[in-house]
Amino acid sequence: MSNPITQDLPPKGGFANIRYERRLPQRGPGGVAMFLICGGIMAYGWYQVHRGLDERRELEREKIWARIHLTPMLIAEADRDEFRRKCAAVERERKIMEGVPGWEAGKSVYLGSRYAPDIIANVPIHQQPGFKDK
Amino acid sequence: MGNPGYKYFKGEDWIDPTPPPSDLPAVDEVGSTGAPLKSASFFIGSVCQEYNEDFMLCKDESRDPKHCLREGRKVTRCAMDALQKIQSKCQREFQMHWQCLDIKNQEFGRCREPEKAYNECLFSAFGWKKAVPGAPENRPQIHERIPLTD
Repeated sequence: MSNPITQDLPPKGGFANIRYERRLPQRGPGGVAMFLICGGIMAYGWYQVHRGLDERRELEREKIWARIHLTPMLIAEADRDEFRRKCAAVERERKIMEGVPGWEAGKSVYLGSRYAPDIIANVPIHQQPGFKDK
Repeated sequence: MGNPGYKYFKGEDWIDPTPPPSDLPAVDEVGSTGAPLKSASFFIGSVCQEYNEDFMLCKDESRDPKHCLREGRKVTRCAMDALQKIQSKCQREFQMHWQCLDIKNQEFGRCREPEKAYNECLFSAFGWKKAVPGAPENRPQIHERIPLTD
């Protein structure tokens, strides 16, 4: 038996190194560039958002001031109408309560001097004698 | 008049035909609808500022409608005067603007093109300038921005 026992051994000079590191080709922009690009997109988006918010706020301001400028005129008109209706209602009341001694037409139901608007609208047909019986 | 389909709630019943007391000076009402008023609002506000502020200070004293009738008449006359002035010089531009407001839900932002001509006409005719109070001063006002928002 001239066949000696052979052991499984590495080749002469050892095995070649195993390339276990990840070696992918460099593709696309790097991390910092990505960060900057995304940041730029975000910044542009926020810029547009704030432009829109600013415009909306200014439009709202314009609308509100348009109403504020008209308010005195509208109140004045409504006041004149309310006063006219109140006078007419007091006149009706005086006519209805003519025969009642000690009745003051148009006297406030409150003791204070502060103005309190009429709770019930002064409607002519509602303020005729015998309206409730109809 | 009245709500359609609801015969028991008649608008006519709420009308009071009684004239105002005869000792009050007569004053016409403005009698304008919303869109022309809104179109003229900033000019009414700037031209009639003194009367308006006087009236509102008076209303602050008392809410009684009787208390501020005098100031209210001045306010109404001033507003009518401003509207008549606008009508006399810039009738076409005024009409274009308020009709635009009427069909665009009374939003100023959707009527910038007619408004531009209208404001220019009023500025050249009377020197009136639309200015929104309280707007930031480092930027042009909303109605002067380019491009005008549609």
